[in-house]
Amino acid sequence: MNYTKQIQDIAAKLFTEGKIDVFVGYRMNGFDDNQVPVLITDPQDVSKLVFTDKSVFNLVNYLKTDHTRRKRVGLVVKGCDSRSLNLMLTESQVKRENLYVVGICCEGIVDDSGHKMQNCVECVVPDAVVSDELLGTPSGQKPYMVNVDIAALAAKPLTERTAYFEEVFENCIRCNACRHSCPLCYCAKCCIDQETATLYNGANTTSAAFHALMTWSLHLAGRCVDCRNCEKACPSHLPLHLLHKQNESVIYENFQEHLAGVIPEDRGAFYKYSLKDPDDFIM
Amino acid sequence: METEVKDQLVSIEKPELVAPPNWEPVIMGILCNWCSYAGSDLTGTSRIQYPPNIRIIRVPCSSRVDPWFLIKSLQTTADGVLVSGCHPGDCHYITGNYYARRRFLVTKKLLNFVGFHENRIQFSWVSAAEGPKFAKVVNKVTEEIKKLGPLHLYKKENFEKK
Repeated sequence: MNYTKQIQDIAAKLFTEGKIDVFVGYRMNGFDDNQVPVLITDPQDVSKLVFTDKSVFNLVNYLKTDHTRRKRVGLVVKGCDSRSLNLMLTESQVKRENLYVVGICCEGIVDDSGHKMQNCVECVVPDAVVSDELLGTPSGQKPYMVNVDIAALAAKPLTERTAYFEEVFENCIRCNACRHSCPLCYCAKCCIDQETATLYNGANTTSAAFHALMTWSLHLAGRCVDCRNCEKACPSHLPLHLLHKQNESVIYENFQEHLAGVIPEDRGAFYKYSLKDPDDFIM
Repeated sequence: METEVKDQLVSIEKPELVAPPNWEPVIMGILCNWCSYAGSDLTGTSRIQYPPNIRIIRVPCSSRVDPWFLIKSLQTTADGVLVSGCHPGDCHYITGNYYARRRFLVTKKLLNFVGFHENRIQFSWVSAAEGPKFAKVVNKVTEEIKKLGPLHLYKKENFEKK
């Protein structure tokens, strides 16, 4: 999967036609074969753009910054990124007419060791659902799979799960990188910060981390698109996908196979209801 | 005395921690104004006894209950939470409890996933006419949470139990 040439051509064309102010893409980081996001405003820098199977980050996150707000933006999206873009459009965070979206029919992103990443193996929608221009050949929607880590953890006894997650929350340093890297965490003021209003409560305790991560994952329940930007950003390498995939699997099984952002104008699972929702857990 | 030590109650999530003698659970009861709160009122006025372990908070509707409330109560004094609202279809705000129901399921499953016993988070539908049912629900919830022992997970520093 290498669309470097096409993306450079498209970006150059858009700049000469005057259709965009900023182009958001990937560039090489300059010292190894990994890539970082880049915001291009000068048409001469277009040659920096690349796209290979190492383009891991979700660029939709950059639509919330000052560099792109109220500007015409060109954007590269993979399948999962386009789902988050779809949700941002539905939730009125960006205007469609300000965007020029280059969709990719993604074949899976590769990690440092050369293996396909876990979320790409389990990917349901590899093709971009929102795009002005689609690169590659669409492969269609794939069947939903329950995450292997979730299945393994759910099979463990309660005390083991408790001990496992206590360690996870203990290792959190409350840097909030997960929140900042998430394209769907766009609130100007976050309710998690209410806890940090005082020095004491804001202390980096296991309890505070539990509160922050649980609240965060429940706010993203039914909206998370499994792009794993949070996990890539986490300096403590916490398995944040466990929380999201758990919510996703519960929602998929119980709420009419809801998958976030696949259908345009479809909001998160908590913004709608059905009379058929399970009721057996309520007395 | 030895038999007493053997029968000591342990926290189900952390079996190494033993409950103090005569330990009583604290249950946070979050009730909707229109049905369950009126139902609990009826329980009282009909002179039906129910355990005093429940601490009741009144909210306008069960869909006012943010999962955050449950997280915060479990972080502080509560050993368990009971959320109660109108029966589906009877909501004062027409559809509030349908939205709430979805959130409750996901919250309950997630809290169970990260290591809370599933009985610590309980939900019920109690209408304003169901005074005896409310007493029955509180009795059942208190009994179940008593068996689980005190909650020692992720307590804030002020609320850590010795």
